[in-house]
Amino acid sequence: MLSRSAERLYWLARYLERTENIARLVSVHMNLLMDLPKGVEMGWLQLVRINAAEQIFYEKYPAANERNITRFLLTDSSYTGSLFSSLLAARENIRTSRDLLPDEAWEQVNEMYLFAKNNLDSIANRRNRVLFLNEILKGCQRFTGLLSGYMSHNNPYRFIGLGKHLERADMTTRILDLASLLLAESRSDELRHYETMLWMNILKALNALLMYRQHVRSRVNGGDVLNFLLLDNNLPRSVGCCLNEISVCINKLPNHDSLPQQLLLLQQTVQDIDTRETTQLQLREILDDLQNKLGGLHSQIAANWFLREGVAHIE
Amino acid sequence: MKSIWENYKTEVAYDELMHSEFQPRQVSQRLCQYLNSLNKEDIEKRKIAAELAIMEMGISFTVYSDEGNIDRAWPFDIIPRIIDAKEWRMIEKGLKQRLTALNCFISDVYSEQAFIKDGKMPSEIINSSKNFRKECIGMQPRHNVWANICGTDLVRDKDGVMYVLEDNLRVPSGVSYMLENRVITKRVFPELLQDIDILPIDDYPTQLYDMLVSIAPHQNGQVTCVVLTPGIYNSAYFEHAYLAQQMGVQLVEGNDLVVKDDDCVYMRTIEGFEKVDVIYRRIDDDFLDPEVFRKDSTLGVKGLMRAWKAGNVALANAPGAGVADDKVVYSYVPEMIRYYLHEEPILPNVPTYLCSDKEQLAYVLEHLPELVAKPANESGGYGMIVGPHATAKEIAAFREVIKKDPRNYIAQPTLAISTAPTLCKGKLEPRHIDLRPFILQGEDTFVTAGGLTRVALKKGSLVVNSSQGGGSKDTWIINGEEH
Repeated sequence: MLSRSAERLYWLARYLERTENIARLVSVHMNLLMDLPKGVEMGWLQLVRINAAEQIFYEKYPAANERNITRFLLTDSSYTGSLFSSLLAARENIRTSRDLLPDEAWEQVNEMYLFAKNNLDSIANRRNRVLFLNEILKGCQRFTGLLSGYMSHNNPYRFIGLGKHLERADMTTRILDLASLLLAESRSDELRHYETMLWMNILKALNALLMYRQHVRSRVNGGDVLNFLLLDNNLPRSVGCCLNEISVCINKLPNHDSLPQQLLLLQQTVQDIDTRETTQLQLREILDDLQNKLGGLHSQIAANWFLREGVAHIE
Repeated sequence: MKSIWENYKTEVAYDELMHSEFQPRQVSQRLCQYLNSLNKEDIEKRKIAAELAIMEMGISFTVYSDEGNIDRAWPFDIIPRIIDAKEWRMIEKGLKQRLTALNCFISDVYSEQAFIKDGKMPSEIINSSKNFRKECIGMQPRHNVWANICGTDLVRDKDGVMYVLEDNLRVPSGVSYMLENRVITKRVFPELLQDIDILPIDDYPTQLYDMLVSIAPHQNGQVTCVVLTPGIYNSAYFEHAYLAQQMGVQLVEGNDLVVKDDDCVYMRTIEGFEKVDVIYRRIDDDFLDPEVFRKDSTLGVKGLMRAWKAGNVALANAPGAGVADDKVVYSYVPEMIRYYLHEEPILPNVPTYLCSDKEQLAYVLEHLPELVAKPANESGGYGMIVGPHATAKEIAAFREVIKKDPRNYIAQPTLAISTAPTLCKGKLEPRHIDLRPFILQGEDTFVTAGGLTRVALKKGSLVVNSSQGGGSKDTWIINGEEH
């Protein structure tokens, strides 16, 4: 397998995972804001902050309102972190890797892209936005499903797995950044009032509410939610579980000698986390550390298997 | 209801399917019977089915434009073009003869130059050719074949004779569309293909692969072949990917390959470096190796010429083969056939005036309104003029262009190239077509059964290139005697 192909498949998976994550995040947040009173410190801008894109946003838009922010996050093709940009990048990467994947994989991504392109304007309206996001979420699920059912679980499949789980772990830590607001000493009484609902919302953003109920069997509270989302070995979107999946992929790929050790360190870091008595500041530190280490893991993967970082994949 | 044949005119040129509006040629009788059994709605449905298939299969080509490069769906006409097998056997023989002579010529040009020494061609033609690569002098590719893949353009004139219009010996494209056209036709007219014996074409990727293996530098053990593409922004990227996939070989770009100190070529894989034996390159000579040719090329592979000259890798087509892909050299091919093979040419050339010759130049300048004039080294139908379709102003301007650089221009009489019924807005109209068969030469020589028929979709137009509004048709070679 060519190094360039490995790189393109890895990025295809990252961009598609990003597409799905943005869709889920916006969708859940929209539901939440319908329930919250106006003025609580959990507005739309938090979604921009998760992507560390506040500055870029204000360069393009005068006001941080629902209309501008959803446009920025979903359909703005001049912002590389938007859903549409991610989908476009996924499509370009798969277009040049068609020889390695089942035909339906290309068709699925192409179809999703055409759908998004034809419905960019519809998202200004809330009802249409819900339909748009649902369609994208379904499309991403179809893609995942058809690869797992149609494709040999070979090296190309493993590079897709690497990209997907690294992106997913990264997004989980970003969503937990949102949670750190809930731990702030200075948080308003109003926010404290809605706390349980907000923790549930974070679980929903990661499709984890039902699993949390079954697994934790106690009322929803901050410390338990954080531990569950970081450490649980069975929840597909927990950081721990993503790292396990990455480990499986890495160990089956050729020439992986230098990687398992790095990965073990990262897994150790995660397992040592205890969030039950953590303060906002401590949580921020933990998450920053995790994000840096995930970035480091990406660099190692790139150095080990890809052409030269950034040469082959298409943004 | 009106017939799709309403007002079909066959007097414009030789029509490939019809004697007259009401009388099909012998080979096309079955097809016409079948078409007549369908009504307009049926035909429209088939056309839509074909378009859908093209979208689904993602058959596209890229058009360069100011607004970025766009992938366009491949324009396909569902009415096939038919050639009698008896005639085809003759054409096939003629194509093999022609490529064999051309390869003798290229070998000769890079060694003895006997053809020139014996006074068959002035040496200036070679010395002034921008596709003559002095770096190739003394090389001897395997089987002495330089042009392994050739796409020869054929046109039929009013007299019914098939002429060779040009030989594409650099990186000819179109074969994937030929293959996909048949796949689409099978989907659109399954009942028809069941009943008629059409020569199959789908063994081309196998033949191409076998040819590539036959030119490998070593013949022991496994041979690693790759297809080298300039990348997704090339107009033929779809074809590069398609052929690589069909042959089951890697599709590589320049930066996937590296030439190491041992002068061997390797590709970068996730398992480390893997040696490459044969490269089917779809990059022009100019961009192949920045060490030797254009220094600014980012598409090629540094050191590739070194590896090739050391005999460690085979390149198809060999660098320098383009010297025979020149419309001035073209005019000497009949003489090459006599000189190298001691045979008479089976396929005639279109009469060609060389502007490098004073008398011929004078004739061309005077008769430009009746002639087709083109640059000797361009492809894709760019930079040419069709006299009868040009304005007086355009002709005057072109005269100046020719006078500035006579060596690089040739002119030919404007042929009334043949037509075939083509579906235009629900009815059939005659449109001009050509034919590009593909010839492979390595240890053996192979010709595709038919080729890619290109059609000028615009009424009256003679330009069939896809970059300029051309489309294509499936091409059927049928045994006419059976009916």
